Amino acid sequence: MERAVPHAVPLGQMEVFQTLQRLHMTIFSQSVSPCGKFLAAGNNYGQIAVFSLSAALSSEAKEESKKPVVTFQAHDGPVYSMVSTDRHLLSAGDGEVKAWLWAEILKKGCKELWRRQPPYRTSLEVPEINALLLVPKENSLILAGGDCQLHAMDLETGAFTRALRGHTDYIHCLALRERSPEVLSGGEDGAVRLWDLRTAKEVQTIEVYKHEECSRPHNGRWIGCLATDSDWMVCGGGPALTLWHLRSSTPTTIFPMRAPQKHVTFYQDLILSAGQGRCVNQWQLSGELKAQVPGSSPGLLSLSLNQQPAAPECKVLTAAGNSCRVDVFTNLGYRAFSLSF
Amino acid sequence: MSSESSKKRKPKVIRSDGAPAEGKRNRSDTEQEGKYYSEEAEVDLRDPGRDYELYKYTCQELQRLMAEIQDLKSRGGKDVAVEIEDRRIQSCVHFMTLKKLNRLAHIRLKKGRDQTHEAKQKVDAYHLQLQNLLYEVMHLQKEITKCLEFKSKHEEIDLVSLEEFYKEAPPDISKAEVTMGDPHQQTLARLDWELEQRKRLAEKYRECLSNKEKILKEIEVKKEYLSSLQPRLNSIMQASLPVQEYLFMPFDQAHKQYETARHLPPPLYVLFVQATAYGQACAHMKSSQPPRQDKTLSVAIEGSVDEAKALFKPPEDSQDDESDSDAEEEQTTKRRRPTLGVQLDDKRKEMLKRHPLSVMLDLKCKDDSVLHLTFYYLMNLNIMTVKAKVTTATELITPISAGDLLSPDSVLSCLYPGDHGKKTPNPANQYQFDKVGILTLRDYVLDLGHPYLWVQKLGGLHFPKEQPQHTVIADHSLSASHMETTMKLLKTRVQSRLALHKQFASLEHGIVPVTSDCQYLFPAKVVSRLVKWVTIAHEDYMELHFTKDIVEAGLAGDTNLYYMALVERGTAKLQAAVVLNPGYSSIPPIFQLCLNWKGEKTNSNDDNIRAMESEVNVCYKELCGPRPSHQLLTNQLQRLCVLLDVYLETESHDDSVEGPKEFPQEKMCLRLFRGPSRMKPFKYNHPQGFFSHR
Repeated sequence: MERAVPHAVPLGQMEVFQTLQRLHMTIFSQSVSPCGKFLAAGNNYGQIAVFSLSAALSSEAKEESKKPVVTFQAHDGPVYSMVSTDRHLLSAGDGEVKAWLWAEILKKGCKELWRRQPPYRTSLEVPEINALLLVPKENSLILAGGDCQLHAMDLETGAFTRALRGHTDYIHCLALRERSPEVLSGGEDGAVRLWDLRTAKEVQTIEVYKHEECSRPHNGRWIGCLATDSDWMVCGGGPALTLWHLRSSTPTTIFPMRAPQKHVTFYQDLILSAGQGRCVNQWQLSGELKAQVPGSSPGLLSLSLNQQPAAPECKVLTAAGNSCRVDVFTNLGYRAFSLSF
Repeated sequence: MSSESSKKRKPKVIRSDGAPAEGKRNRSDTEQEGKYYSEEAEVDLRDPGRDYELYKYTCQELQRLMAEIQDLKSRGGKDVAVEIEDRRIQSCVHFMTLKKLNRLAHIRLKKGRDQTHEAKQKVDAYHLQLQNLLYEVMHLQKEITKCLEFKSKHEEIDLVSLEEFYKEAPPDISKAEVTMGDPHQQTLARLDWELEQRKRLAEKYRECLSNKEKILKEIEVKKEYLSSLQPRLNSIMQASLPVQEYLFMPFDQAHKQYETARHLPPPLYVLFVQATAYGQACAHMKSSQPPRQDKTLSVAIEGSVDEAKALFKPPEDSQDDESDSDAEEEQTTKRRRPTLGVQLDDKRKEMLKRHPLSVMLDLKCKDDSVLHLTFYYLMNLNIMTVKAKVTTATELITPISAGDLLSPDSVLSCLYPGDHGKKTPNPANQYQFDKVGILTLRDYVLDLGHPYLWVQKLGGLHFPKEQPQHTVIADHSLSASHMETTMKLLKTRVQSRLALHKQFASLEHGIVPVTSDCQYLFPAKVVSRLVKWVTIAHEDYMELHFTKDIVEAGLAGDTNLYYMALVERGTAKLQAAVVLNPGYSSIPPIFQLCLNWKGEKTNSNDDNIRAMESEVNVCYKELCGPRPSHQLLTNQLQRLCVLLDVYLETESHDDSVEGPKEFPQEKMCLRLFRGPSRMKPFKYNHPQGFFSHR
């Protein structure tokens, strides 16, 4: 542990409350700015903090440069998902998606640009939005979450064009197949569904928990993370982290990781995953664990690879989860420091 | 030869021609005058220069004659004898002349000497006269300077200024026409005026003296009258006491207290005055009832006044005492000599000595429980300490876990954040401690009372932080500004402690005492039960594996109280380590959870356990209940039971295991899981009675 046990200092009521709040903070989502120099992180109190990666990575970085450049209250509930277009930061959580101008955020004038709510059927509880996905070819945004549907929203007009129904429980994650306009979604019902955006139809369903190789009934069925690369798909959650061949719908590799995974991504010829436990795991496609790099949070919820060509010096991996800290990995094998709310 | 003889004769002739003739005449002169021959007189007549010439001539003649005689003798012959005879006669004449000259020379010498002597005597006389005159001059000069330097006495007298003199003095004294020109007369006149004035003032002084005496006599008479009045007044006071008591107007008692208060050291005095003032102000604000009766704050002074008075006695007395005690000590310790340690102990005792007087503050709360505060003043350390005691209206059954709640040691700890009352607030004390080998005041607080910062402030003592001590004086305004807030804090502290005390009594028996006005926070049916509530040590808390976060965040100080709660439902056991801050209930108790059910679950491996913790720790404001939210701890524990119910009932059923679920879902939930971290619906919606996500 890098943090030494601090001496117990006398605290007033406000300080105790703030310390407790920080202690129980969870960072659900991250997004890198289009310029590649800033990282936005959203927590369970609905706040979004923007960190300056370039300042924190520079040689004369101080303790302050690891603190947020700006923090603002974005939502009433947790910020579960964020994506960045070339000008906007889109954030979603408690049923609404909000847009913020990156340029304005950096000028610290944080006023929402617009907000949209997908047409929900239920009125008792507003469903959350767990995942946002940009479809650059169509210039649209896909939202998915608590109401078990995928909503496609045209970014030009702001209108919700389609709703894709099929999941029987809420949706955890989304992934886009780059070549064909197809979207993958994974949900609490344990199924990964493949959707054709042109026809708005479900093309394929893989019920992961039904495959004995990867099923882990004591953890549940839910699919918590999903990533795809051409014909390959990797998904995990309640069932074990598994690499699938999509055309044949067969599991090819089962990664030996007991803890449920909450985020997975392809990176070059590796698969990076994170979840319960302190570590970021690096897998060979063959199922071999290449490395486990410990972070500072007891559990990780999101990974973010900054691959913006505009800022090659800020090419880092960031990981966040059940703490108020965002770990920054300057290369894949080493955690350099933590940004902190 | 012939030439020689001629030469010889010539001077003879000259002589016979000149000098003898002269001498003859002189002789005849003197013979004619004095009828006797006096060679002295002859001297005056002859010229010494000529005598000298004569002398030279005679000598030459003699030499010549001698030479001729020798010549003749050496030649020898018969006629030589005649010649020699002739020559001898001639030489005899010359010898005669020489003799005469010799005499004359003697006489001249004598005469010269006499003359010189005479002259010298004259010079001496003149010199003496000169000396006398010089001396006289000097003497006179001295006299003159003496006169010039003479200081008259009148110069020392501070006279009125000149203008004033001419303005005020009567003309017969000032005599302006005379004195204006003559400074001497003027001074004399001014002196006269001065004398006149002084005479008048002396007269006045005498008058005043007599006046004073008269007044003194009057005063004495009046004093006698007053002193005779005192016993009478006392007897009247005595007689009125029952009436005062009857009317609840203990003026006399208050008066006595004020009398005692005069002997209080300054900080205690400030505290006494301010507390009394605050107490009266509160009582007056209350109502029209007679004041004093429902007083919430009463102030009293305890201790011996005589001892306090003795402190101000002159040091000789104490010296005597000391010697006495020394003698006693000698008697008692004859066998055992005081060791160095004993001496140091005595020094320590001396340093930590309390003032014999102390101020008692009784703070009454609404439920008739009373907080007794005793304030002491440590004279040598210049700090104040307090001892606290709580008494309740009804006898309390003391639960084991509540041991520390009302103990005098901890009941007032951290009244203000960080004020533990273990360290001395006066930075100067550390140096004093070093001298007598006291490491910290901490070891003595049980005996002395706690030197909380607020106590110093109530006493008007303000100490700069970590700086050398300036003069610390008791300041009324400082005390006044802290009195109200501190009293309110004290009251809430006692009430919250008493409330905790009551709650602990039930908690120990496994009953979570939810009051009726907090019932709406929880569903009607709660299955999980509290089975254990025990106090644990700080060290034990620090060693628990699931409390690391709290320890790292600096929330587990050693002034807090630590408890362990165990909540059970079926086979599931939920341990909760509780940090109870002394500032309860404004600072909430902090819970750390560890669930033993299908493996050990803590916040590091189960997001929902983490969510449960944040439900009780962060969202505690919903659980405060009605003000002043003393029921917070109970509500948090009940909430924990509810959370455990929800956690267990919503746990997804493992299809592979045969048989029914251990915990059938009884709670009404909209959804079981939500969000990326699959939160369970922990939020309870009151009137509808269902659970939803936060």
